[in-house]
Amino acid sequence: MAETVKLFVNGREVEVEAGKNLIDALRVVGIEIPHFCYHPALGADGNCRMCLVGIEDGRPPLVPACKTPAQPGMKVLLDDQKIRKIQRDIMELELINHPVDCPVCDQAGECRLQDYYMEYDLQDSRMRVPQVTKGKRMDFGCGVVHDQERCVLCARCVRFTRQITKTGELGIVNRSDQARVTIFPGRPLNNRYALNIVDICPVGAMTSRDFRFKQRVWFLQKDEGICHGCSTGCAIYIDHHREKNGDDVIYRYRARTNMQVNGYFICDAGRLSYKRENENRQDLTLVDGVVVDFEQGIAAALEKMNKARRPLLLVSPDATLEQMWAIKRIATFYGATLSGYSDAYRIDDDGDDFLISDDKAANRYSLELLEIDRDRESFQAALAHADLLVNFDNDLFFSPINESLQRLLGEQDRISVCSHQLPVFSGSSVILPCASPSEYGGSIINRHGVLQRFRRAVRRNADPRDILEITHLLGGAISSAERAWPGIRQSVPVLRSVEPEQIPVEGLLLNNSEERDVGP
Amino acid sequence: MEVKILSARFDIDNAHRIDVARTHGAYRALDKLFAMAPAEVIEEVKASGLRGRGGAGFPTGMKWGFLPKDTGKPVYLAVNSDESEPATFKDRYILVRDPHALIEGIIICCWAIGCHDCYIYIRGEYTSQVKILQAAIDEAYGAGYLGARVAGRDFRLDVTVHRGAGAYVCGEETALLESIEGKKGQPRSKPPFPAVVGLFGCPTIINNVQSIASLPYIIANGAAAYRAYGTEKSCGTHLFGISGHVERPGMYELPLGLPLLEVLENVAGGVWKGRKLKGVIPGGSSTPVLTPAEAATVTLDYESMAAHKTMFGSGGIVVLDETVDMVRLVENLIAFYHHESCGQCTPCREGLGWMLKIVRKLLAGEGTVADIDLLRELCDNIEMKTVCVLSAACTMPVRSYLEKFRDEFEAYALDGGSPQPEQREG
Ligand SMILES: Cc1cc2nc3c(=O)[nH]c(=O)nc-3n(C[C@H](O)[C@H](O)[C@H](O)COP(=O)(O)O)c2cc1C
Ligand code: SF4
Ligand code: SF4
Ligand code: SF4
Ligand code: FES
Repeated sequence: MAETVKLFVNGREVEVEAGKNLIDALRVVGIEIPHFCYHPALGADGNCRMCLVGIEDGRPPLVPACKTPAQPGMKVLLDDQKIRKIQRDIMELELINHPVDCPVCDQAGECRLQDYYMEYDLQDSRMRVPQVTKGKRMDFGCGVVHDQERCVLCARCVRFTRQITKTGELGIVNRSDQARVTIFPGRPLNNRYALNIVDICPVGAMTSRDFRFKQRVWFLQKDEGICHGCSTGCAIYIDHHREKNGDDVIYRYRARTNMQVNGYFICDAGRLSYKRENENRQDLTLVDGVVVDFEQGIAAALEKMNKARRPLLLVSPDATLEQMWAIKRIATFYGATLSGYSDAYRIDDDGDDFLISDDKAANRYSLELLEIDRDRESFQAALAHADLLVNFDNDLFFSPINESLQRLLGEQDRISVCSHQLPVFSGSSVILPCASPSEYGGSIINRHGVLQRFRRAVRRNADPRDILEITHLLGGAISSAERAWPGIRQSVPVLRSVEPEQIPVEGLLLNNSEERDVGP
Repeated sequence: MEVKILSARFDIDNAHRIDVARTHGAYRALDKLFAMAPAEVIEEVKASGLRGRGGAGFPTGMKWGFLPKDTGKPVYLAVNSDESEPATFKDRYILVRDPHALIEGIIICCWAIGCHDCYIYIRGEYTSQVKILQAAIDEAYGAGYLGARVAGRDFRLDVTVHRGAGAYVCGEETALLESIEGKKGQPRSKPPFPAVVGLFGCPTIINNVQSIASLPYIIANGAAAYRAYGTEKSCGTHLFGISGHVERPGMYELPLGLPLLEVLENVAGGVWKGRKLKGVIPGGSSTPVLTPAEAATVTLDYESMAAHKTMFGSGGIVVLDETVDMVRLVENLIAFYHHESCGQCTPCREGLGWMLKIVRKLLAGEGTVADIDLLRELCDNIEMKTVCVLSAACTMPVRSYLEKFRDEFEAYALDGGSPQPEQREG
């Protein structure tokens, strides 16, 4: 911890980090102060008044915790009757014009208003006069739907568009209880991060058109994951659920705070990329177009690989470090050429100076660390020369730049190990389905050299195999991600002392070097 | 009882024109001013006992003293001419009848605090006033009292008039700053205070029009001459706007400290139509009401008002005769503050609307005694929980009516009608 200060909360002495406001400082020592408008990424606004705490001998005696830095010797009153009453009073005022229909609200289960009501209020409404009525289901653009009636006017969403995206599409118009969050007429939300508003809205006033009313949140299992949408590798939550007798289905991704990688937010494309995990999946094993058992598929692949004289193995830049290592090992085993050619995963000028990267590959950095060739010329040469191409889930046609390669494909026999039904694999003599990122675990390194670990989140009924497991079935020596590490450590100097189990949640910044430009 | 210090030129024809104003003494304090060091000016203003005339009565010289020294940033003066509180109509007289007193006061203040850029924030509805003020400023530029060399001295001073868009809340000093900055006028959380972080992030002094217009007399005649008027803690004179049920409503300049009833009787001609007095609002709609008994003992100064659990406020006195329906008055009061709430913070935004609906329910004959208690409780629940004191400007007086005239509210609750139906047309 940085510099600390000692202060008192309800008479108890606590030691907290200096320079933080009371909400953040006390949270670290397990003391929660209720709040709506404060958000660490957006700063303190001071409008909700939910965080009012007492300061004994203080002037003024009542202060908003979000605007009050922790100071030495400060005597904070929190659980005191007087403060509890104030919290209840503020909650009451927050609720008088709020619809009392949590059961039909999409936010129920993850709503601050609901939680605080249970914690601080828990009284029947004393409101015996008509409520203020407001708009419902307002389309704010970018898939954000606003339910004005549920809004507590905390202005988080407004501040997000002003401070984070700097697009300023939202504002609060009118005064008094006529105040409303809104867009300018005909100027809806128009930025690539707009759905974060749904995450940061503390109540059910900002909903995602994509998610709303699809699933009750308390049914969702929330696992930690990493977005594979680009080389930033944002930390996410994978929210999924298995209906009785159904399959495990992912309903949404949400931003997970990781100060070393993405801060508090993720981009909309990454957020919606959960759909990829559910859609267009390759579930069947095919040999010469005929559906067979997975084991039969493996046998067919083995036979072809053993026979091939000039096999070429193609690895995906989305594969984990461990999967790449395992593929590299079987390439050696079969005396095959190995390529990580993946120019198609770059989309020039698509990135920005916030999170989105031009490079849509999640783990190109590891290709470089494992010294897997990424050159187009050599891939093309190898392709022309090969009698068997084994493609481990590399989507050569992710972007159109490889159209000219199309004619080179098909001149050799092809085995495709794939998670999705992609054009590049059609025409393969053997197709083996494999797992997609939410269905396996491993390590990836983002464009800034941050090594993050993730675990398997989803277990689908079809239970596609991890690529690493497939390499093992194809004769490789690596049977699990853990087993890959001794070899990785030995051959990659910067990973020499890395213990995968000890990688912090926020990831490990490799060799503390400046950002490196990872070439293709 | 009346005195003519601030209002000395009010009755002179065309005193808003610089030539007329000058023949009657305008800008005469400047020679003396520029002979003084800024710190001496601040001391003189402190010694005069001048307190802010915007309502809170904060000592003016002391406020100037809070400016941090040598920040390397410019210092701003914002003159508060928003004057939007019901029953307050004093600053407008200065703007229209003697704008050069304000400009001269601005020069004095700016010299004292080292300010070269002053904003006058004027209420949006003051359309004719703003024309006269702007014309006076233009004249002052023409005569060399404003601009690159004020009165020939090596001192630049520019004055900009900024018109509000018609929001009472913009009279609150930090909302006023937001509004000048071109943002939605809503109060800032304090601290930091404007003296440290004010306009455009720079140290800023905000003073009321009348506070500033009081300065020329103080500098020209000295602190002691000013202190000769008023009481020990409430020095000088004040412009009182007397309205309501009196025979001679109007604006009167009086020394502080006079007995309220005497003033009503001798200056404003007493309660009109020979009616009985029911109550007095002493200093603008936000100040708690006084009963006739309290009105009989209170004097027009900060100390006595505080001793009577109310506030001197802005000197806007409203006389309420016996026909006034206090419940309707409270409805009107809450309707105003509710309408003017900036809507930023929860208790004020939601609470005032609730209070208004409860009073209307009472008026409709649908209320209960429990509603009156709830109304009273809401005053406590809202007050001082908010970003600014606009909400308190509503709850403090409402509480006073509920306490002092509760029977009238109960009459509505129990009988479903006004307690004095036969007098209501009054
Ligand atoms: C809601 C609200 C409205 C106010 N309106 C005015 C106003 O119209 N004019 C004014 O001078 N002060 C007004 N004030 C007081 C100012 O915030 C500030 O205290 C004053 O301008 C300071 O000047 P003074 O020290 O010269 O009195 C208002 C305060 C509040 C809370
Ligand atoms: S929509 Fe949500 S985030 Fe925006 S002001 Fe309302 S409650 Fe706050
Ligand atoms: S910036 Fe990249 S990694 Fe982050 S959420 Fe978007 S696509 Fe995913
Ligand atoms: S008290 Fe009322 S006027 Fe003042 S900041 Fe809060 S909502 Fe705005
Ligand atoms: S969190 Fe402090 S006022 Fe809202």
